[in-house]
Amino acid sequence: MNTLLDTFRNDGMRQWLPLATLILLVILVGAFQPAFLDVNTLLQLASDTAVLFILATGVTFVIMLGGIDLSIQSMASLSSVVVALTLARFGYGAFVFAFALGALAGLLSGIAHVRLRIPSFIATLAMGGVLSSAALVTSRERSITLGESERAYLGWITGTVFGIPNVVIIALIVLVVAHILQSRTPFGRYSAAIGAGEPAAYASGVKVDRQKIFAFVLSASCAALAGIVLVGRLASGSPTLASELLLPSIAAVVVGGTSITGGVGSIWRTLVGALIISVVRIGMTFLGVNIFAQNIVFGVVLVAAVAITIDRSKIPIVK
Amino acid sequence: MSATLTPAPSAAAPGTAPPPPALALMHVEKRFPGVHALKDVTIEIRPGEVVGLVGENGAGKSTLMKILSGVYQPDSGDILLDGKKTRFVSASDAMSQGIGMVFQEQSLLTNLTVGENIYLGNEKQFTRFGIVDWRALYAAASRQLAKVQIDADPRMRADDLGFAARQMVELAKALTLEENAPGHLVILLDEPTSVLERAEIEILFARVRALRARASFIFVSHRLDEVLELSDRIYVMKDGAVVADLVASEADITQLHHLMVGRSLQAEYYREPLQRPYRDEVVLELDSLRHDSAYRDISFKLHAGEILGIAGVIGSGREELTRTLAGFAPHDGGRLLARGREVKLRTPAEAVDIGVGYVPRERRVEGLVLFLPVAANITLADLGSLTRAGLINTREERRLAESWVERLKVRTPGINTLCLNLSGGNQQKVVLAKWLNAEARILILDHPTRGLDVGAKEEVYELIRAVTAEGVAVILTSDTLEETIGLSHTVLVMRDGAITHRVDASPGQKPRQVDLIGYMV
Repeated sequence: MNTLLDTFRNDGMRQWLPLATLILLVILVGAFQPAFLDVNTLLQLASDTAVLFILATGVTFVIMLGGIDLSIQSMASLSSVVVALTLARFGYGAFVFAFALGALAGLLSGIAHVRLRIPSFIATLAMGGVLSSAALVTSRERSITLGESERAYLGWITGTVFGIPNVVIIALIVLVVAHILQSRTPFGRYSAAIGAGEPAAYASGVKVDRQKIFAFVLSASCAALAGIVLVGRLASGSPTLASELLLPSIAAVVVGGTSITGGVGSIWRTLVGALIISVVRIGMTFLGVNIFAQNIVFGVVLVAAVAITIDRSKIPIVK
Repeated sequence: MSATLTPAPSAAAPGTAPPPPALALMHVEKRFPGVHALKDVTIEIRPGEVVGLVGENGAGKSTLMKILSGVYQPDSGDILLDGKKTRFVSASDAMSQGIGMVFQEQSLLTNLTVGENIYLGNEKQFTRFGIVDWRALYAAASRQLAKVQIDADPRMRADDLGFAARQMVELAKALTLEENAPGHLVILLDEPTSVLERAEIEILFARVRALRARASFIFVSHRLDEVLELSDRIYVMKDGAVVADLVASEADITQLHHLMVGRSLQAEYYREPLQRPYRDEVVLELDSLRHDSAYRDISFKLHAGEILGIAGVIGSGREELTRTLAGFAPHDGGRLLARGREVKLRTPAEAVDIGVGYVPRERRVEGLVLFLPVAANITLADLGSLTRAGLINTREERRLAESWVERLKVRTPGINTLCLNLSGGNQQKVVLAKWLNAEARILILDHPTRGLDVGAKEEVYELIRAVTAEGVAVILTSDTLEETIGLSHTVLVMRDGAITHRVDASPGQKPRQVDLIGYMV
């Protein structure tokens, strides 16, 4: 058992493990259900993955730094409520408003974490509570279905371009922007440096606090965008719309091979991880697994993925 | 011009025949990436003997201690316990075989009581059905404390004790091993006196002597006079090998020092012929600088091209002063002027802004991001100048990294290799490359050759000479006085937070170590 795990931990192989898993899963599901490999089904899969991927992308920035954001699902739900409530009045401005609210929430989480020196899981757990309560109060604990006139503003989410759903295109734009941020900008480099060795980054003159706050802003902004996309797909907003998405999002990041302890990771890995989660979800649907039982599987998958990818020799103490 | 070195005698015991050594290492070898840490080391400790172990930093003392305590395993060679071959697979395994440890960084948990500390991890003997019989544990702890003749209540919290008393508790803890260990007890004392006052040291030594009936001791210390005072026999290590085995009563400090350093080509070793006079331009000026808890009234001027060495023992305030100049601990009073402009360095980023580059002693923690490639580490302190329209110019970055690797002769498979995989000397070159790339005008070298072997040290010295020739100013603190004197233009001596002496150290006029020591203690 140990030697098998050791083989997986060997770096060269470990890097490709998530992608190999994804391909294997696609082949498996395709073999049982040939219709799965149909173009339309695959596009449907991509659309279904988009929200998860956007959420996971945001939290990837925070995980790269060695932190965690547990407020993303609450932020996405609040964002959906805000859009649903203000769309009639503000029109397209409602999307901007929700997005700005996300950035603000991230800023506050980041400041609480950095300036008050609170562990990120506590700061964002608290922020998550605040946001989900705000969503419940403003929506009066109900889901808000959009009327015909309001749905007119959702075309940019629900439409298609050359047969490709706009949702997929939005996710691709997020992918490209996030990838550039991470691989080509000083912010991305500093994130990797802070995640892998914060004291050395600090001693080299990196403004560590600023990078961390920005990562939380990105995470909450992505969550807000995910909420906006959800409104488009469902034509309604609800205070519990995204509440089941925290676990799959973090699972997607880690299953993709980004280290939960920070320093190592990429947006591509998160894309692969999000697709794996989606394929597993569809596979379970085919197998007739109860939809509410799926988080049991994702919980197990998350622990297994961390167990396989983590290098225990570098982590003497786990708290 | 050849070094006057006594050849390493084999550690054969002179005359004393019957009882086998309590502990012996035979032909032990240990290598780490880029460092041959132990070369054919053979030592033995006889029952009831106190054996001193001396050597410069990097001579292999700590590696040897870690092998004796089971933290490291030797690559080859044998460990003999009471004449029988054995292995220590872990620290707890070594302990169960009778190797006790008293470390310089005290290992007591300050939030637990003395008794809890003494039996930490060994409560089983007092445990019935998962419940600890505290009365029995504290009674046993009292008996242990009596062995070291310390009058402390085992129910006191460890942080209510002074350093000296804690050291005694550590000793008492090590002595608990004799109840379970099969053979002789051997206790490793690793710099046990570094935080103690003279009177406390006397007490510790008296206890150690009194305990020789129960155990043998290995005593590691930088304080050669103490080693001579306490030990029966002394092993001298240099560059990973045992170079001498002396009877303490026949040895003296000068002899030990010669054996440890073992080179007569001092001037050449520190590249003194390359030491150029510094320039008139003042890059940094301290005017009555004060830090409430560490130093006061520190004034000096640092010139372009000057190497300013600061000597002083732990507690002299020199560590905090270097941290202030690197941006980690802002000063509380006085003035700090960078090129004539008054500054206060609240973060390392602010220090970097005024042209400071900090080469920390904790190279693997603060110096480098070990899990990033060489190239990313070299450019880390100056990414801004590589950034156009928010994006890093990666081609330019690669070119820069390649050129630094070439200029500093960094031995690495490539610029994409993780710094983790480089040897200590090459890691240090990457740290220096980072600051040269950021065009630092003031380098703060905080023990820059710590843990490096001789060859790597010489390369670092050469590099330091080269950058100062180009006008970079250096503030140096070092493990050895010899290195401070050998490299510096000017040496400041600090004691109790103040400057006690200032001396010119131009080639040909280098002060002697003994002259400075008087100002340090």
